[in-house]
Amino acid sequence: MSAILASPKGWPAILLARAGAADPTDLDAAIKTGAFEGLRRAVRELGPDGTIHEIEASGLRGRGGAGHLTAEKWRTAAGTPATRRYVVANGYGADPSASTDRTLIETDPYAVIEGAAIAAFGIGAEDVFISVRATATEAVRRLEAAVDAATARNFIGDDALGSGRRIEVTVRTVQGAYMLGEETVLLKALDGKRGQPEQRPPHPATRGFRNGPTVVQNVQTLASVPWILVHRAKAFKAIGLGDAPGTILVDVRGHERSGVAEAPLGTPLERVVELGGKPARGRTLKAVVVGGPTGGILPPSELSTPYTFADLRAVGAHVGSGSVIVVDDRACVVDLARLLTRFSADEACGKTIPCRIGLRRIAEIGERLSTGTSRGGDLDLLADLSADVVGSGLCDHERLATLPMMSGLRYFRDELDAHLLRGECPAGVCNPTRLGATA
Amino acid sequence: MSLLPSVVPGLGIVKGMALTLRRFFQPKATVMYPEQPADVATKFRGRLQLLYDENGALKCETCFQCAQACPIECIDMGGMDTKGRFHVHWGPPETYGERREESALRRSGRAVPDPAYEHFAPFDTATVDAIMEAHDHDPKYLLPMLEATQAAFGFLPVSALKRISERTGTWYAQIYGTASYYGHLRFEPPASREQATEVRARRATDAGYLEALGASLGGGSRGSKTIAPRKTVAPRKGGDA
Ligand SMILES: Cc1cc2nc3c(=O)[nH]c(=O)nc-3n(C[C@H](O)[C@H](O)[C@H](O)COP(=O)(O)O)c2cc1C
Ligand code: SF4
Ligand code: FES
Repeated sequence: MSAILASPKGWPAILLARAGAADPTDLDAAIKTGAFEGLRRAVRELGPDGTIHEIEASGLRGRGGAGHLTAEKWRTAAGTPATRRYVVANGYGADPSASTDRTLIETDPYAVIEGAAIAAFGIGAEDVFISVRATATEAVRRLEAAVDAATARNFIGDDALGSGRRIEVTVRTVQGAYMLGEETVLLKALDGKRGQPEQRPPHPATRGFRNGPTVVQNVQTLASVPWILVHRAKAFKAIGLGDAPGTILVDVRGHERSGVAEAPLGTPLERVVELGGKPARGRTLKAVVVGGPTGGILPPSELSTPYTFADLRAVGAHVGSGSVIVVDDRACVVDLARLLTRFSADEACGKTIPCRIGLRRIAEIGERLSTGTSRGGDLDLLADLSADVVGSGLCDHERLATLPMMSGLRYFRDELDAHLLRGECPAGVCNPTRLGATA
Repeated sequence: MSLLPSVVPGLGIVKGMALTLRRFFQPKATVMYPEQPADVATKFRGRLQLLYDENGALKCETCFQCAQACPIECIDMGGMDTKGRFHVHWGPPETYGERREESALRRSGRAVPDPAYEHFAPFDTATVDAIMEAHDHDPKYLLPMLEATQAAFGFLPVSALKRISERTGTWYAQIYGTASYYGHLRFEPPASREQATEVRARRATDAGYLEALGASLGGGSRGSKTIAPRKTVAPRKGGDA
């Protein structure tokens, strides 16, 4: 398990409220701290409609990266005529450099289960799948133990909390590809198919798992739900910033420390960066990679950006996996962008031309820059190609995968030019052959 | 003229025989395909041709999307996939039965390296049958079935996939497409360490990515427990000491 970073005094604890419990799978201990109170309120007091209404009033947005309104998905799924509906908790954690979702499952499996059960109750689903990465063995073990314990005590199961409703929670392990984090891909993997995205719309909330309305929700989103029902929507709205209420987990790789922390949405990026400590003596902060492999590379001048879905997108990054990687002056932005793009290109599913060929060509531009073999017009080509990939991509992966190179172009033009025009790497990382020396 | 045939009995047969006779002395149009390559116009749209990129590498990734999408399942292929593994494939059993024979492969003139034949070797069907039974022969559990098969054999023998295809009614192309998509499934026995590392490097696994990221950050993430040791950091020219 990754370390949990200490957060400053005054930051609220919603997702990691039960961190530090002696045994996170101990149901009695969890009940003492309020587990399943939210589900009880939903079942006894609010009813399905009231539950969705309360979530709507809280303004909760999905923590899986895109920040869609959660209540909107629930309402769509509840309102689509169907015989079977499904809830899928996305705990896959696609980004290898972020362990936010895994940390949440390990510290508080009951919050995820309870949130998923409330979602199932709200939309009228009987089957809940919690998908976890098979290699996260400790998270799988704790989650399975928690599901068993909660079923034995009738919080979930054939007659959940005496509501007369069957809510069956199953833990499903998946592995083998980065793309499994994407919701339509995840649904296909759960159904034994090849992991390639589907065109949306129809969104899974209308037609998803086995063609039934399916609410796919990140585990952090679901873990926020019980808190909202217990402490009321108003209290939730008071945390965070504007239309991005609540808290989110970030995985900070800082100058001194690395680990997972819970931050209120809207926290300025520099506060998040500070969680990882200060640069070593003689070093300076050069850039911050926000959003994981498809994240944007932001310069220090953008550190006042509030950490919200919309604000990060506006500066060319995104919330993504919650990963925040601090880069000091030893690193080269071209090399970093090249590496991130190469990863995205290798992990693209291959279904569509922008994903299969577009990303590869963008990665090659990065490789040409870092080896000093660029051709004239490569930067124009990069901008054109990125615009085409964004315009024609099937899923969000290829669209977001243009961000590292494009933010590099936007904020670190000098460094790119040094590689391109003078065959130099200011950080001394790449080994560009000097143009003219060979040709 | 147009009235004649109906009034002269037997004229139709005479005309038909005349045509036959004329054709008989004309040059033959039969092409002894495949021994003799057919002459196909370049603009012919039904032509199946795999293209090469500017580096001379085959553009086809053996991703099987065309095979899986083709409504009459007439597309099928053998070749190197993106992981550098050779596979010989076939469509649904009833369509391509004959091609499964070794001799058919030889006749087709395809280069078939020896390991491919091992895929046709008899194998322990009981194991796979038990796995399918445990999953109700339901293609919805294809992934767990494949994982169990790999757990039993150490890899996915093609003959096992073939049996799963026959017994569950799932097309081979679909099974292969699924199995080859997931990074943790493999078609050969666990490779030697060098081969494994090479495949890992090519597929940019999580560990490989983290290691490269750590290297790229040049120590910017000191103190991190999760980033793999930076063994691959290249010596810097005039960088940090
Ligand atoms: C390439 C890609 C990878 C993704 N990986 C994850 C992931 O690991 N975990 C996750 O919860 N959502 C991931 N998502 C977002 C999901 O598609 C989906 O939007 C999310 O699970 C919905 O939950 P939310 O509304 O609670 O955010 C990914 C999306 C893309 C395009
Ligand atoms: S297998 Fe894939 S890449 Fe190859 S021809 Fe068919 S669709 Fe194209
Ligand atoms: S990654 Fe292939 S379509 Fe998005």
